[in-house]
Amino acid sequence: MDRRAELERKKQKLAMIREEKERRRREKEAKEHEEIVTRITKPDKDLRAETEELLSSLGIPLGNDGSLIRSLNATPETSLSPIPDQSLTSTQSGTGLLKSSRRQVKLSVVSVHQANIPPKESVTYNKQTQTATSTIDKEAHPLDYYVLTYGDVPVEEEGEGCSLPSNDSESPALYPRHHGPHKVAGLPKIEMVRPAHVAEGDNPLTPGHADLQKKVTGTQDLSEEEKQQIMMSEEFHSFFDKASRIVERALYEDIDICVDYTGIGEEQEGDDKSGIRLSVNRCFVDDRWSKNRTITSFDWSAQFPELLVASYNNNEDVPHDPDGVCLIWNLKFKKTTPEHIFHCQSPVMAACFAKFHPNLILGGTYSGQVVLWDNRSNKRTPVQRSPLSASAHTHPVYCVHVVGTQNAHNLVSISTDGKFCSWSLDMLSTPQDTMELTHQKQSRAVAVTSLSFPYGEFNNFVVGSEEGSVYTACRHGSKAGVMEMFEAHQGPVTGIDTHRAQGHIDFSHLFLTSSIDWTVKLWSLKESKPVYSFEDNGDYVYDVSWSPIHPALFACVDGMGRLDLWNLNNDTELPTASVVLDGSPALNRVMWAPAGHQVVVGDDAGKIWIYDVGEQLATPKSDEWTMFMHTLQELKNNQVDQDLDALTSLSSSGFSSGIR
Amino acid sequence: MEDLQTTEETMFVVDEVSNIIKEAVEGTIGGNAYQHSKVNQWTNTIVEQILGHVTKLNKPFKYIVTCVIMQKNGAGLHTASSCYWDNTTDGSCTVRWENKTMYCIVSVFGLAI
Repeated sequence: MDRRAELERKKQKLAMIREEKERRRREKEAKEHEEIVTRITKPDKDLRAETEELLSSLGIPLGNDGSLIRSLNATPETSLSPIPDQSLTSTQSGTGLLKSSRRQVKLSVVSVHQANIPPKESVTYNKQTQTATSTIDKEAHPLDYYVLTYGDVPVEEEGEGCSLPSNDSESPALYPRHHGPHKVAGLPKIEMVRPAHVAEGDNPLTPGHADLQKKVTGTQDLSEEEKQQIMMSEEFHSFFDKASRIVERALYEDIDICVDYTGIGEEQEGDDKSGIRLSVNRCFVDDRWSKNRTITSFDWSAQFPELLVASYNNNEDVPHDPDGVCLIWNLKFKKTTPEHIFHCQSPVMAACFAKFHPNLILGGTYSGQVVLWDNRSNKRTPVQRSPLSASAHTHPVYCVHVVGTQNAHNLVSISTDGKFCSWSLDMLSTPQDTMELTHQKQSRAVAVTSLSFPYGEFNNFVVGSEEGSVYTACRHGSKAGVMEMFEAHQGPVTGIDTHRAQGHIDFSHLFLTSSIDWTVKLWSLKESKPVYSFEDNGDYVYDVSWSPIHPALFACVDGMGRLDLWNLNNDTELPTASVVLDGSPALNRVMWAPAGHQVVVGDDAGKIWIYDVGEQLATPKSDEWTMFMHTLQELKNNQVDQDLDALTSLSSSGFSSGIR
Repeated sequence: MEDLQTTEETMFVVDEVSNIIKEAVEGTIGGNAYQHSKVNQWTNTIVEQILGHVTKLNKPFKYIVTCVIMQKNGAGLHTASSCYWDNTTDGSCTVRWENKTMYCIVSVFGLAI
């Protein structure tokens, strides 16, 4: 308290001193006007002396001015700091305060922050065409269809009996050749301008053709040589080919001109037929080309529903014939010869029509090549072939499919080494996209034996493999590749088919698999266990196919010559209709006609059987879809009951009552 | 007494700072679409606002505030940071905010004095 009073007194004194100073200064200023020089110095000294006198009189210790100021300055600070004593000491003590508050700091590394924004994946589509560089086409014609010709084609054509040799006649408008006229068929020389023949030959307005005609009509009697020449010419061959087809069709038609519409005397066959569920309609076989060859696949043309392509394996009895044959059969007409005959060097394992191009037929072969035939050309050999390189397939191609829409479609092919290739139809020299189908857990690739795309799907698909498992996979997207695995069968999966009949309830998640373990199993993509297993067969089941119109109807064929039709709404234990073929050949393939009233079956002797399915069986009624839903539900319930029974039977008798 | 003071007054409180950041970001760019002309202004505003608020807390800390605004264009962004400090007193807070057109990542690091 005393101290404070002292300090206040000091303040007051200081204030007084200041006031005096000011007064003195004012007086000095007033006096300065009178005496400037002498009086300037004096008042300073006086002032100082006076202040010193004043202060000394008060008893304040006088050091220098600095110490006084410091002590005075310390006063405001004391009110702030909690410990007034410490604040008056020098700054050294201040740092001591800080030092005592600083703790031992332990520094450690911390991984603080990570920000991850993943990029958006965009799937791009690329379409390109490429002309092959193998031919040096010096004089190309705008009317040429094919710029691609292959140097090794002559090898194949030599084996043919009725091949169309490339030859030129002495038409003036065409290019002179350096070899003379051919008399021996089967010695073709493949020239670059060969396609020009076809273009010019077909057009009746070209002068060359006109000249030829004049030549023919001019001379009455053609010598043998001239006749031969005409018969060997390109134009003759193409004309003959087309005309013979038309004539063949006409000859086989047996339209009854004596038809009696009154109905007297003739039994109506309609009643009989309605009772028959499965009956043979036709058999397609060609002695020259299809005999003794196993049928490996079927496909229907999208544009012409009567055209069926069948691919054949090789004929062991005739090693000189080409190994792979593909025939196009016509169901509309009664002729027994194929519409078109194609072959290639390696057995064809899978064939399909190019969905959006009515004239292209694609085949996957045992050697891993994907071949393309064109029925506009007169050639029987492929017009395009994929290379036999590691970029394409090196294992047998068991599945080919054309997927997509009119403007954006691809050919998809899978081989048994798990390689999935996507091709553009214009360019078979390299695949557009390749992918290895490997299941994540196993590092081995999936050996694919069958493939199916669900209805309306272009991205996701199901494949069956040699190990007996079924995989779902997808083509594009971040998870391209195998997605799920179903432990399906105990033997290789021979056939897989996804549900196709469209109705008000969507069953496109269902698919059927057939296998060498004598069973056919029904699966749903949503469940990992089979919905049901059909075990009525006594031999390897080679193929299975859903009806395109009836949701609960499917057909399967086995190695004992049995064709079964199952209607799940009718009976799930036994097939609704079953027939054994004559001679019990092993049946390799089955497929429904797009109309849904016929079933096509292929056997290992090279015969294609067309079976008519009775109207009542094939045509679905309006409630078939809802009935099928109920059937599926029942099957699921039965499965659950079976599992429960299995559990209860395994447990000891003491517990069984408790579980129930 | 001194220990309590060190834990409350001299420790980085993440929640508090996180709230400050969220308010600043929402206030500046909430409801706006990415505009190239304004982004600079936004980042500045956000950083300044946050720094202002955080210093008002009157804590004996040094602060570092960073703000990243990225337009949503399909590109990926990956950042990481690591610190060597006193874990008991120092800390950081990162807030990731996004709307339809942009991402905003704000980090505040506080280091005790």
